[in-house]
Amino acid sequence: MPIIEVENVRKDFMIAKRETGMMGALKSLIKREYMRKEAVKDISFSINEGEIVGYIGPNGAGKSTTIKMLTGILVPSSGNVLVNGLVPYENRQENAKSIGVVFGQRSQLWWDLPTIESFELLKEIYQVSNQCYKKNMDTFTEILGLDEFLNTPVRQLSLGQRMRADIAASLLHDPPILFLDEPTIGLDVVAKEKMRTFIKEINHERKITVILTTHDMEDIEKLCERMILIDHGMKVYDGEIAMIKERFGKIRTLIVDLEESLHSLQLLGGEVCKEEGNRYWIKFNRDEVSASELIAQITKTHSVKDLTVEEPAIESIISRIYQEGYKDLQVSAKV
Amino acid sequence: MAAIKYVNLYFKLISAGIRAQMQYRFAFIMRIIGLITAYTGTAVTMWVMLYQFQVLGSWTFFEMLFLYAIAILSWGFCVILFLHFRSLDTYILNGTFDRFLVRPINPFFHFMAMKFDMASFGQFIFSLIIFIWVSLELHIEWSSGKVLFLLASIIGGILIQGGMLVLISAIAFWTTKSQQFYWVVMYPARNLTNYPLVIYPKIVQWIAAFVVPFGFVNYFPAAVILEKGTPFFPVSIGYFSPLVGLVFFMIAYCVWMLGLSRYKSTGS
Repeated sequence: MPIIEVENVRKDFMIAKRETGMMGALKSLIKREYMRKEAVKDISFSINEGEIVGYIGPNGAGKSTTIKMLTGILVPSSGNVLVNGLVPYENRQENAKSIGVVFGQRSQLWWDLPTIESFELLKEIYQVSNQCYKKNMDTFTEILGLDEFLNTPVRQLSLGQRMRADIAASLLHDPPILFLDEPTIGLDVVAKEKMRTFIKEINHERKITVILTTHDMEDIEKLCERMILIDHGMKVYDGEIAMIKERFGKIRTLIVDLEESLHSLQLLGGEVCKEEGNRYWIKFNRDEVSASELIAQITKTHSVKDLTVEEPAIESIISRIYQEGYKDLQVSAKV
Repeated sequence: MAAIKYVNLYFKLISAGIRAQMQYRFAFIMRIIGLITAYTGTAVTMWVMLYQFQVLGSWTFFEMLFLYAIAILSWGFCVILFLHFRSLDTYILNGTFDRFLVRPINPFFHFMAMKFDMASFGQFIFSLIIFIWVSLELHIEWSSGKVLFLLASIIGGILIQGGMLVLISAIAFWTTKSQQFYWVVMYPARNLTNYPLVIYPKIVQWIAAFVVPFGFVNYFPAAVILEKGTPFFPVSIGYFSPLVGLVFFMIAYCVWMLGLSRYKSTGS
């Protein structure tokens, strides 16, 4: 059953045109020209209860704008949004009770106070019962290790600690939906891993629906089964991550280290795309030629020291989609 | 949420705000000292001027000090409650305002309760002392009716000045920046009320009564208590002070909410 439904949503902003230079600045002080910017053009999707969905796209693609419309901060220019049966911007306060929000870049906690005080204030703001508060605090303390910094003022926390505190704070009132806007930004490898484990766990144990935006493809690969990819305010892909890998992951790379350096390496079905000393990168399409066939061809004439076959990471697939567009890529993948 | 819960929440939030402010002890103490110095400075300037003229527009030195005491008494309390609105534009500018919109309570209330300016208590006590001293000097006979009227008009004054802070802050929803307006509107308006309105040209008096109603903060109520005339205006106009405060604050609140809905459709 869909818990979030987005239908033909569009969001325009009017932006003042700025002119450069002193004269330009003076001119725009007197008379300003506005231009329309379409942050989100026409996006539709629906998300079922209990899903973890990666909402990704390059900077300025409209990710945050969409999240803001789902949380009720912004009103869409047109289209329909339904979150947990409510229109977020019409029932903003009611909607707030059923969502948790974490903005990775900005803490929601009381900056100058010991961390525990933020939790206690949020308990009051969300009217969380003592019993529920205690249950949640116990669980989060155990999984996130909150006790090591509960008495430290938020401004003195490390980024990793602050993110842990922020995500715990967003879940105190047991929301069925959690929005995470770049939850792992700036974290080190260990802290990222902790964060991912926690997100997975609450999704699994509590059936919380999670929508996360991120630039870290590892987040997507480790957490989500489904991703929605947007670019220039439009949806370019919506589906399983396995699917996109299956479709675009046909082009593999064989990396070989040869004993001797060659003038050129000619292979049937493969193409050398890069060479460095005795190391060669050979691109091939899995459907046309198998890796073992290629290796056989090479070993027939050369002695091989070492070799590996590389599957493209989701990261490189997505950066190709950003650069070449999804449609073009579909065509080239078929060929 | 029921009103009683809001009251409870208000006290929890402001006590957190006070504790946060106490974290910076040096700044806290300096602010108290700074406020008292500034106010004493104004009082001294007034005294120097009146020493020359003896009376200003039929107001004696102590009568003027009474006027001044009412102004800073209500301003002191207004700052304690509403000063946070002065920094609204900073929140909008750096995007931290959004947090008030993802929580299940009224954002106006939430924003207001985020900060409670403890340091202004120093100012409040200072103005109270001046007020008591001046009323003794003036031999005012405090009947219960007069005390009630004074309290009501101080509340009116708090609402007028608080409403002004709210109105100015709301400009940020349209222009992103609004602190400049504070210096353009609030500062001169408050300076104006340091002296009896009667000394100003008619047009200025008229503006201070009906446009930016700061005349109702101290001049009109003080004239009622001291039984002084208010040329161009009926004597009883001071009795409207609490009502003017209430209406003005309601207008300010509505404009703020209108600004908020604009913010929601334009972002920042």
